[in-house]
Amino acid sequence: MINQLYQKSLSTLQKGGMSITKLVATTLTLCVISLTAFAQNINVSGKVIDATGEEMPGVSIQLKGSTTGTSTSVDGNYTINNVPSNGTLVYSFVGMQAQEVAVQGRSVINVTLANDDQLLEEVVVIGYGTVKKKDLTGAVNAIGTKDFQKGVVTSPEQLMQGRVAGVQITQSSGEPGGGINVRIRGTSSVYGGNNPLFVIDGVPLSGDNTSGGGDSQGLGRQAAKNPLNFLNPADIQSIDILKDASATAIYGARGAQGVVLITTKKGKGKGTLDYGYSLGFSNITKKYDLLSSEEFAAANPAQDLGGSTDWQDELFRTGVAHQHNLSYGGGDATGNYRFSLGYLDQNGIIETSSIKRYSVGFTGGKKFINNKLNITSNINLANTQDKGVGISENSGYTGDLLGGILKSNPTMPVYTNGDYTQLGITLANPVAIINLNKDRTNTLRALGNLAAELEIVEGLKFKTVLGFDKSFSSRKNAFSRDLVLDGVVDIGRLYITDIETDNNLWENYFTYDKDLGNVTLNALLGYSYQSFDGYYKGSNLANFSTSDLDLMVNNLASADASQAVNNFVSNSSSEKDELQSYFGRLNLNMGKFLVTGTLRIDGSTKFGGNNKYGYFPSGAFKWKLIDEDFVPKNVFSDLALRVGYGVVGNQNIPHNLFQKRVRYGNWSADQGATTITGGGQYFVAFQNPDLKWESTAALNVGLDFAFANNRVSGNIEFYDKHTKDLLFQVNSAQPAPNPFSWENLDTDVQNRGVELGLNVIAVDNQKFTWEVLANGAYNKNLIKNLKGVYDTGEINGQGLTGAFAQRLAEGQPMFAYFLREFGGFDENGNSIYPQGDFQQFVGSSPLPTLTAGLTNNFTFGNFDASVFFNGVFGNYIYSNTRNAFFTKGALNNGGNVTKDVLDTNEGPWNAPDVSTRFLEKGDFVRLQNLNLGYRVPLSAGNAISSLRLFVTGQNLMTFTKYSGQDPEVSTNKSLNGIPSFGIDYTAYPRARTWTLGANISF
Amino acid sequence: MKNKEIKNILLASCGIFMMTACTDLINNEKDTIVAVSDGDGFAAGDPTELLISAYKDLGAYTDQGNIYALGQHPTAEMIPPTRGVDWGDNGVWRTLDQHTWDATHSAVLGAWNQLNERAYKCNEIIASNPSPAQKAEAQFLRALNMFHVMDYWGKVPFREVTEGVDVDPRVLTRTEAFDFIVSDLEAAVSGLDAMGPQPLQAKANKAAANFLLAKLYLNKAVYTAASPAGPYSFDNGDMAKVIGYVDAIIADGYAINDDFFSNFTEDEGNTETILNSAEGTPQNRWMMTLHYDQNPSGWNGFTTLADFYDTFEDGDIRKGLPAEADGTDMSGIGFGFLIGQQYDDNGDPITDSRSKNLLKFTRDVTLAGTPTDKGIRAIKYHPARAGKYILMRFAEAYLMKAEAMMRSGDTSGALAMINDLRAKRDAQSLSSLDENSMFEEIGRELYWEGGKRTTEVRFGKYTTGTGTLIQDDYTILYPIPSSAIVSNPNLEQNEGY
Repeated sequence: MINQLYQKSLSTLQKGGMSITKLVATTLTLCVISLTAFAQNINVSGKVIDATGEEMPGVSIQLKGSTTGTSTSVDGNYTINNVPSNGTLVYSFVGMQAQEVAVQGRSVINVTLANDDQLLEEVVVIGYGTVKKKDLTGAVNAIGTKDFQKGVVTSPEQLMQGRVAGVQITQSSGEPGGGINVRIRGTSSVYGGNNPLFVIDGVPLSGDNTSGGGDSQGLGRQAAKNPLNFLNPADIQSIDILKDASATAIYGARGAQGVVLITTKKGKGKGTLDYGYSLGFSNITKKYDLLSSEEFAAANPAQDLGGSTDWQDELFRTGVAHQHNLSYGGGDATGNYRFSLGYLDQNGIIETSSIKRYSVGFTGGKKFINNKLNITSNINLANTQDKGVGISENSGYTGDLLGGILKSNPTMPVYTNGDYTQLGITLANPVAIINLNKDRTNTLRALGNLAAELEIVEGLKFKTVLGFDKSFSSRKNAFSRDLVLDGVVDIGRLYITDIETDNNLWENYFTYDKDLGNVTLNALLGYSYQSFDGYYKGSNLANFSTSDLDLMVNNLASADASQAVNNFVSNSSSEKDELQSYFGRLNLNMGKFLVTGTLRIDGSTKFGGNNKYGYFPSGAFKWKLIDEDFVPKNVFSDLALRVGYGVVGNQNIPHNLFQKRVRYGNWSADQGATTITGGGQYFVAFQNPDLKWESTAALNVGLDFAFANNRVSGNIEFYDKHTKDLLFQVNSAQPAPNPFSWENLDTDVQNRGVELGLNVIAVDNQKFTWEVLANGAYNKNLIKNLKGVYDTGEINGQGLTGAFAQRLAEGQPMFAYFLREFGGFDENGNSIYPQGDFQQFVGSSPLPTLTAGLTNNFTFGNFDASVFFNGVFGNYIYSNTRNAFFTKGALNNGGNVTKDVLDTNEGPWNAPDVSTRFLEKGDFVRLQNLNLGYRVPLSAGNAISSLRLFVTGQNLMTFTKYSGQDPEVSTNKSLNGIPSFGIDYTAYPRARTWTLGANISF
Repeated sequence: MKNKEIKNILLASCGIFMMTACTDLINNEKDTIVAVSDGDGFAAGDPTELLISAYKDLGAYTDQGNIYALGQHPTAEMIPPTRGVDWGDNGVWRTLDQHTWDATHSAVLGAWNQLNERAYKCNEIIASNPSPAQKAEAQFLRALNMFHVMDYWGKVPFREVTEGVDVDPRVLTRTEAFDFIVSDLEAAVSGLDAMGPQPLQAKANKAAANFLLAKLYLNKAVYTAASPAGPYSFDNGDMAKVIGYVDAIIADGYAINDDFFSNFTEDEGNTETILNSAEGTPQNRWMMTLHYDQNPSGWNGFTTLADFYDTFEDGDIRKGLPAEADGTDMSGIGFGFLIGQQYDDNGDPITDSRSKNLLKFTRDVTLAGTPTDKGIRAIKYHPARAGKYILMRFAEAYLMKAEAMMRSGDTSGALAMINDLRAKRDAQSLSSLDENSMFEEIGRELYWEGGKRTTEVRFGKYTTGTGTLIQDDYTILYPIPSSAIVSNPNLEQNEGY
């Protein structure tokens, strides 16, 4: 009979008359009929709705303690037969709070499921799986949409800024789409990169740039844009941050700097159409306090050109940002889908700069074969268009655009006789730099995966995942020959940079869940292969016959090929790296005690011979103290102790340094584009066949606690990280094929710290709720056993060639400042250095000792509000900007300066050498986010199911003593590939942004 | 049930199969040539391409920093003033001028790396089955680079091509290095072509090898002295060798050209270029000294000192020729020393755009706190007619011969040579010649060409020059860069550092 019915169901399905849901429901019902042929049972029916009154299809209803179950139909109705009249039904649905209802003899039970964010937080993504928050053994933080930073948010990292203890997010400048430093628990590597591994829907990213940066003659080196700009933050459901080694060891060789797991939104419910729009206005928070034209003319009469120009007003503007997000999707227990479209058009606060992003996302999943086979897929595709401006990281005596804004003579008119006033090749007119330069980057990136999971026998599942991450980017940066700038005037310059990346992933793994009575076992065993292909091409052109920027880019023959230097390809490269990994994890849950063991074996093409494979084990233990009798339950509602230890790695070094390889070196044109040099064969590296992984061993001790019936909850973490076998580029023992060689240094980089996360529900009643979320982290960084010293923190500007401000050395924190001690000026106005005219450690570090965040969330009726502060303490900033531009010498040289320069008794011919004179405290507290929302009450049956209006302020107030534009800054001032931190040089200024918007659901 | 179990086992084993390695993690390089060892631990490269690259590497000598800076700034003919916010450069120039450098000095490290890396590339060429001619060229280039290492640091590290990154290179003493370089050159000389004088001479040739041999023997007393600071005893046999090597150059047809400044061009009349760098241009030589408001707009850096300027007599072409200022591009720049009012391409006086005063280069110049108009500038390579950067010029060989004659007792022969040269330079004849006038004549002919330090050391004048703060003998050798000592424990720091 069952067979016949099954056949009938199938035929119905084939005719398209019956949904999968119905089919499954029917099948399950049939099972119920056949299997539960007992007496004294009743049939129960009813309807399941959500908090807004929507009918919910696909809700699973199960008789507690049995396999009997059904699910709701499209209209939310269900019937479950042969239920014991004293039984309990469990109603559950993904993303909703499960509810248990005692039958108590009723035949009709209607249920309203709460759409509870709390529940989403309860499950934490940990890499190749999820775990209930209360069963977590490692240091993992999960944040969801309600915790995210609001407003104009260009890239995903910004969502979590200040929200998680021990995670420091530093935007290197205020540029829309600019680079972002993420540091999880301090800085442990030098060359290996310190950004964490990002994993989007299970696909680990390579971390490489997807768009071109590069040098431009006369201005300097420009940074690449943030590679994560492609992911629309509005598509993100949750971000999980794995902080300690016991958690990150599942990502082995890439786990040393922490792992950030990003999960995109899935469709749920009957199906909604959501549309959000916002309009943002950004303005510079703080302008430089430069001399006015009158003040300048009084201070340097020889340079009075008679005009009056406020260069900041000429170049800074109100940046308008539009965001449109449209999505629709739905889902039930057997499948879901979601489409999204996003559009961002964000104008920077400097004229002409902007970022535009068109993004498309799709996620979908469907269960087949009695829910035993689950097929899911995700695709995120974005086209990002950047309009750049001539701001660089290392401009020299000519200065870049921002340097031009700062130093340009305020008595110089913008125009003379209808043309730009251009007085010299080192004094470029910033308005001319903007208008005679066209810098466009177009990046297309697609990331996605297709996964199939099959339940082989109960509890044993096999999953295979195919992932890809491809990008194409082209940057065209043209400078007109009309721009009077060193190396540009009369010849024009064009730089074309193309970057392609193609990363592919194939993973296969088994998971096994088994309840052995007093022990629950959860095991994972898998294999992963990932390849990283990168292609780069750079072309430089000069000697243009035209000054039309479009023609220069689109008619390359306008570069006169008969000139000595004309069109030439600088170089190209193509590199492929592969990772092959085996991994396993075992969780044992013994009620009071939980144990996790993890091992990942990573093999990489970056290492040769016997060092290809690295082993990364970890273990963690959790003791649920709350289950012990000695813990007073009237005080604690939760208490647990966690201890974890693991070894994780870092392999983030250039491609193949272990083989002897030669290639032809880059071509480059000289300053006047009269000759080109280069092109000779060179040795890529001084091959080191013994190179191996850099590894970090970390111990974590954590305490989870909750008091007062969970009104106050939080956790404290202590950690101690030691990084050894540091991958380092040392000076080769000459004579050598290359000035540098890579080695594993026998060094111990220590990061020790404490983190505190606190969540307080201060008020919780029907009309008003108030929630306080606080976090703080203390980190101490130290380098031990470093042989030799390594300088970094390049300082640039006129007369600052070869200057640097930071040094790595034994006994010092990473990037410790290494400066002259400044002691004022002598009678001639020259600098005095009481400790001597040489650089030394001055006991200051750019690394903060303390970072903190404080969020207050309120709801009152239909209103909701949140206020978020973040703070950074104990760090110092070196102002390369002040060093290069704001001195008496700079004024004497004809440059504008800030007003305070006039108050010093510095002489006009003093050389502003790198010293503590330009070192400042970097502590700040910022009102980062203020958000006010109003949910418009709508009557039932309205086509619009929900409407929320909001206003958001970002970066509203900053309390700091730092004299620069903004204390959250870190210009890339690397030297010989050694990164720097905390140096401010002509950074794109930061804005205050107000955003108005609405979210509508249908 | 049984069937189902079998199916499950099949599925599981299928999964396990998928988990076995699907790659052997072997790189397939697409953008580089991987050199593969033939079994003896050395992977040979392409000698032709590497030799091209080794010639391109000579471009390093055109820079105003590193190799050039070490050879020129500590001497009494150049000063690198810090002009307010300009040319402070973390003290790198001032410490060179004052002899106050230490082992972390960036130019000391930069030059050390450049020269040794260039020497090593030649080792690779020599080991990569080159033709006899290629081998001779590589030996010459190796000798040239090792010569500077020996000259600057007094010891020379040496790495065999079979020695990997974990091997600390052995270190040759100054005497051992001298012998090594001489034998390299002697072996090379027969394999190199004899080229006649021609304006551009970018390939290693017999005259270049003879030039370097002459220089080695002229300075042998310095390089083999018990103490780097001397005393130096010049051996007549060595001096005879110097004369012999220079005579061999003369035999190849090289001669003094009486149009002094055309030696720094690629004009036909240039008969003095023995070796130049094909890579790069001499532009840094004028950029480093010209003022911003001149055309070309320079970096307003280095100047000479009045004491040195005053060793020239009026009429000596080498002291300078006025600018043509005929309206053509860059014709406002004069030749030789630029002093007093400067003019633009049309002959109109230039005004300093910063101070709004007329741009007049002054005799006086200080090392720090120096206004932009201070100091006498020097132009040998004229921006309007410069050719390539010259590494070896016949006039230096000529002077080496004269000096060797003087040192071996033939003062009258030397005086005759000097007066012949001075006649070509429109200078009055000297009536007598001694060490001091010999030293001054070398300075007048070869100023700013990069080798002054070596000359001052040989004449015992290096530690006493104007502005030299530390007058101790130890500064005769540069310190081994501190990072080089960290990388190679076989290197011992030079005395005094």
